[in-house]
Amino acid sequence: MDIMISGLRRRFGRVEALRGVDLAVPGGMFGLLGTNGAGKTTLMRILAGVLPPTSGRVLVGGHDITTRAGRLAVQRRLGYLPQDLGLYPDLTTHEFLEYVGLLKGLDDDAARRRQIGELLDMVGLSDVARRRLKGFSGGMRRRVGIAQALLGDPALVVVDEPTAGLDPEERIRFRTLLAQIAGHRTVLLSTHIVEDVAQTCQEAAVMASGRVVFTGPVTGIIDRAQGATWEVVTQGPPPSTGVVVSAVGRPGGTHYRVVSPTKPDPAAVPVQPSLEEGYVALMREAVPG
Amino acid sequence: MSLWRYEARRAGWPACLAPPASLLVTLALAAAGAAFGTPRPFVHNLLLSGVEALVPLAAAMAAVTVVSVDRCRELQLALPTGYSWTLGRRLGVVAGIGAVLSLLFSAALRLTGSWAGPDSPLASALVWASPLLGLTGLALLVAVLGRSVVLATTTVAMVWLCQQLFASALVAGAWSRPFFLFLTSREGVADGWWTNRAVLAACGVLFITTALLLLRRPERLLTEEEV
Amino acid sequence: MRGRFFAVCRYEFRMQIRKRSLWLSTAGLAVLIAVAQGDRGPRHLPAAADAARVMGSWALLFSMLLPIGFGMVLADRLVRDHRLGAASLLASLPTRPGALVAGKYAGSVAATAVPALLVLLVTAAGEFVHRGDPALFLWAVVAFAVVLLPGLAFVAAFALVCPLMFSAPLFRVLFAGYWFWGNLLGPNYLPSLTGTLLTPIGDYPASWLIGERALYAGAPGWLSFLRPEPGGGAALLSVVLLAVLATPPLVFASPLLARRTSS
Repeated sequence: MDIMISGLRRRFGRVEALRGVDLAVPGGMFGLLGTNGAGKTTLMRILAGVLPPTSGRVLVGGHDITTRAGRLAVQRRLGYLPQDLGLYPDLTTHEFLEYVGLLKGLDDDAARRRQIGELLDMVGLSDVARRRLKGFSGGMRRRVGIAQALLGDPALVVVDEPTAGLDPEERIRFRTLLAQIAGHRTVLLSTHIVEDVAQTCQEAAVMASGRVVFTGPVTGIIDRAQGATWEVVTQGPPPSTGVVVSAVGRPGGTHYRVVSPTKPDPAAVPVQPSLEEGYVALMREAVPG
Repeated sequence: MSLWRYEARRAGWPACLAPPASLLVTLALAAAGAAFGTPRPFVHNLLLSGVEALVPLAAAMAAVTVVSVDRCRELQLALPTGYSWTLGRRLGVVAGIGAVLSLLFSAALRLTGSWAGPDSPLASALVWASPLLGLTGLALLVAVLGRSVVLATTTVAMVWLCQQLFASALVAGAWSRPFFLFLTSREGVADGWWTNRAVLAACGVLFITTALLLLRRPERLLTEEEV
Repeated sequence: MRGRFFAVCRYEFRMQIRKRSLWLSTAGLAVLIAVAQGDRGPRHLPAAADAARVMGSWALLFSMLLPIGFGMVLADRLVRDHRLGAASLLASLPTRPGALVAGKYAGSVAATAVPALLVLLVTAAGEFVHRGDPALFLWAVVAFAVVLLPGLAFVAAFALVCPLMFSAPLFRVLFAGYWFWGNLLGPNYLPSLTGTLLTPIGDYPASWLIGERALYAGAPGWLSFLRPEPGGGAALLSVVLLAVLATPPLVFASPLLARRTSS
């Protein structure tokens, strides 16, 4: 299910969260990177039909989401995991999924229950299916969230910051889960964690200040820091030019990796950039200073 | 049916308990009054106030909670079932509980000879149905417009209290009489009673329709914190 | 300890005073009361009426309805910390729960007192235009202090703490019902607290200011020992009793909050 966005704007009072977004999302797993406040969540909410845009055009699978009929058509084929998913604490895991399934129009009781059982197995929550959601850990809540998103076998899954706050093991587990479900659908993963995109997506976009500043293959982001990534080993202060991306203290001195268009130190040597360094270089271009 | 069962749970125990609690308070007050030596007609009138004044107040406050509080609102807005339908079912549960309880309470009062309202079945139903519709509709509309529990509950409490406080002035005024919520318990089936009930019910329908029209854009329910 | 109390109080005050709903409900109610008071309201007092009587009548009228709005505003203040996820943080701080509750309470009372005092001063200004007596402003402050403020302090204590025991919506229903039963329902037929020293609308202090029974103060009824003849002593006793009655809920607030945080 492909997504075509053109000239998309969204205003909240005096604040313009989206300032003319143009973006094409093909099928498969697609990453949306950006700093906090870049407008990612607003874009996700518009795609999920939660918020209407102020202006612009959004076509999802050929349906215009700015119209009532189009929004409904998209929502019938959508799975959405919001950034702050509130769960009803008095329901059990199974009951919560059953309720969302009913609201998604899965009226065949047997088929719905079978699907819930499969999804609970998939996200590893079968053991706690009859436990109330109150007291679930962050990771378990996200897994309930992805299970509800997958109910009804949606063609488009929109997940907003799904790994924020999870421990490394839970994050890896969640990433694997997302990659697994992306086989025959479009999965739009919004995050500010570069590693998540690096590990799961081939295509990505980067947002800054309400605009899309990059779109293309993930390797394209890395290319932005090509020839601009340096390693400096020093016992003195860190280099004053460029952005220090990492610093590792070793016996011979501190090893700094720096993103800078010019050589940040006479002793600096050029190195192969990582995705994170490409992202930093891109953000420096997009938001100077 | 399962969906209704879930929505009844989502409406919440406080919302479902408020109408029966209000009738229990009525019964407790009536019992205390009887023990205190309050004349029987006054006690009967108090019991009538239970269905005409207290159940509508409880249902209206419950309606505000149903509209204003939902932990899963963002997810709900992304689902193909319209959120106004979901809210409608929850409000239906609250109103249904109020209506069934009022019916049963009225019937019990009739059986025990304590009914101080009109005799005909339609008029008996309008004793509670009109204020229930009017006040709940107002609560719903203010909650949708204002997106604030405080504003909506204050409005409901104020309208209710002001009508109790300034009852004589409101009953006497030609323009205010049709909008007076407690005409039966204050004046009985007096002049203009049918008009009063019809106007209250019509106002309720108007408020609810307006609120439902506003809910065609349900994202307006997202509070500033949620947006 | 005192520094922390004042810090909590100051910031609670700031948070509340910025609430749009506080100002909207106060302004709406004040206008409603001024317009809908009927022929027997203070607007229609004779021109020769003294300032204490005029402002006492206004204070009683505002006191009948304004605390309702304030009760609704305050009903979620302690519960809100849990909803916003700040309860654990607050519990982890070295500030004792007692100081926290006391600070929040004092800040809440102060925040609701500001619009209430403003309403009375604006009313005094309106009356000044007609009556030309500058003492109206002084009596506005006195009437606020003895009629409105004790009621606000009483309502704030229960509005903050009751929603910790049962839900805020249920509290709001019961509160509206209680306000009518305990303050405004004539005590001659039904057992009611109306007209007793425990009436938070300030019936006794208003009667003292007006110089005669303002509403039901001292009218025969249930609990006759709480219905002395209105006067200065009875007004003072009423204020003290309301302050004393506001204490138990605040004492219970800390353990209730601790239980909620640990559950």
